[in-house]
Amino acid sequence: MSDVMDKHEPRDFTELTCTNLMIKLKILLSKLPTGNQVAFFATREQVDNTCAPFSGQGYQVSWKQEAENRYLVRIGK
Amino acid sequence: MASSTFLFCDSIYDERMRWFRDIILASNGTGTSAEPVDIRIFLTGDALFSLVDARTRPAWNAVSAIPSVQVIADADELQLQGLYDPVVSGCSHVLISGADHGGLFWERLVAALKDEWTGTKSAAFLLCNSPYMSRVPVYMLRFLSGVRSAGLSPELYTYLDGVHTLHDGQRPSEFENIGRGVAALADSAALAGRDAWFAACSRCATARGYYQMNPGTGFCEPASCIQGITIRPLKEILARFSGDHPIISHGGGMTVHGKGAGARIPHLAVFITYPPYCTEWAFGGLSLAIAAAMGGIRTTVVFIEDGVYALHGTHQVPGNDKIFNIQEMIAVTTDVEGLSYAVHVPSLAERGIGISGDLSLVREVTNDELARIMFRPGLEGTTPAMRIIFF
Repeated sequence: MSDVMDKHEPRDFTELTCTNLMIKLKILLSKLPTGNQVAFFATREQVDNTCAPFSGQGYQVSWKQEAENRYLVRIGK
Repeated sequence: MASSTFLFCDSIYDERMRWFRDIILASNGTGTSAEPVDIRIFLTGDALFSLVDARTRPAWNAVSAIPSVQVIADADELQLQGLYDPVVSGCSHVLISGADHGGLFWERLVAALKDEWTGTKSAAFLLCNSPYMSRVPVYMLRFLSGVRSAGLSPELYTYLDGVHTLHDGQRPSEFENIGRGVAALADSAALAGRDAWFAACSRCATARGYYQMNPGTGFCEPASCIQGITIRPLKEILARFSGDHPIISHGGGMTVHGKGAGARIPHLAVFITYPPYCTEWAFGGLSLAIAAAMGGIRTTVVFIEDGVYALHGTHQVPGNDKIFNIQEMIAVTTDVEGLSYAVHVPSLAERGIGISGDLSLVREVTNDELARIMFRPGLEGTTPAMRIIFF
């Protein structure tokens, strides 16, 4: 699975509200070819409230803690 | 019986006046309701110019002559703007409210809301304008002072540029100090045993530098902020919209059926009136509407006046730009439960434009349908209240 969102480094979404992150992800995932993934940084609250629920919609969601309240999230299609 | 209260602080141009007149007429005898809706329209600030402007005065005269409609003008602001005499002589049905005219304008507004929302313990102002550049924060203070005087708890929700109210150390040389006014209001409410609930949207506060990341903890903290206003996520502020209390803003209103919101959560109608990108109004309104719907509030977004440009053509954000594509926001949220989109057909027709084919789920509405959205005739006690906010 390859990252198509940012070929260089994951974008920082930590300052988006949960609603706006949800919108951003829906937009990105709607354009994502099958077999690819998006990668970005999020806060713990964003991971729990916005990112994790995508796993119930047929996406593969994983995250790794990078710093205090900063997680590298990958969502694949 | 349904009743509606509106407050307008901003300019009312002829386009708005025309459709507003038509929906008022529609709600009072042209089929949307078995009985007329009691409507009170409070005008202050720049909205008062529409009472004397030749392009809008005839419509106000038509509206204010309807028995179930009251148009109330702020006497203090009329005098400030040199409009007092022309309005007294030229607008016979308009009620002028001030210290020497049957009670202060803002106290009359609070009394009207208290009457409609029977049993309410609080009343709120959604502030989207910044101090000093705009006079709306002065109106906010007057309204919330009236709320406190009426024995209710004042609530303030600052959003978009309204969060500048947070800034510590305000020292205007010529204007009323808004920061100090908010702090005094919070203190006096607390002394009277009525807790004030004053909040600022965390997204808006972060963007404007009032909520800064502490690299040590990874969490944001208030920076250069006055006491008395708490920075909170928008969803916490919107949770207050589920309550049984009135919320006013610089432009908008509320409709209740019977008395108060009843057992059901009030619905929300967000009117997008600005073009999509050069100001934050359209994004701010859309963002608030989507968050409200995701929080369980049934919400209708109406694109109207210049707001219809959000739906025209195909928007493409340049690769080097950092901005939400409004059309993509709409397209991916049409499946959000409780959220619906509508576009005002007369606004499209007036501009000679149509909407993008990719946005076919946006419902086209006429003035009659708009009247139904705003006034929602229904059975007393079973029809939810409706909050209407103009962005």
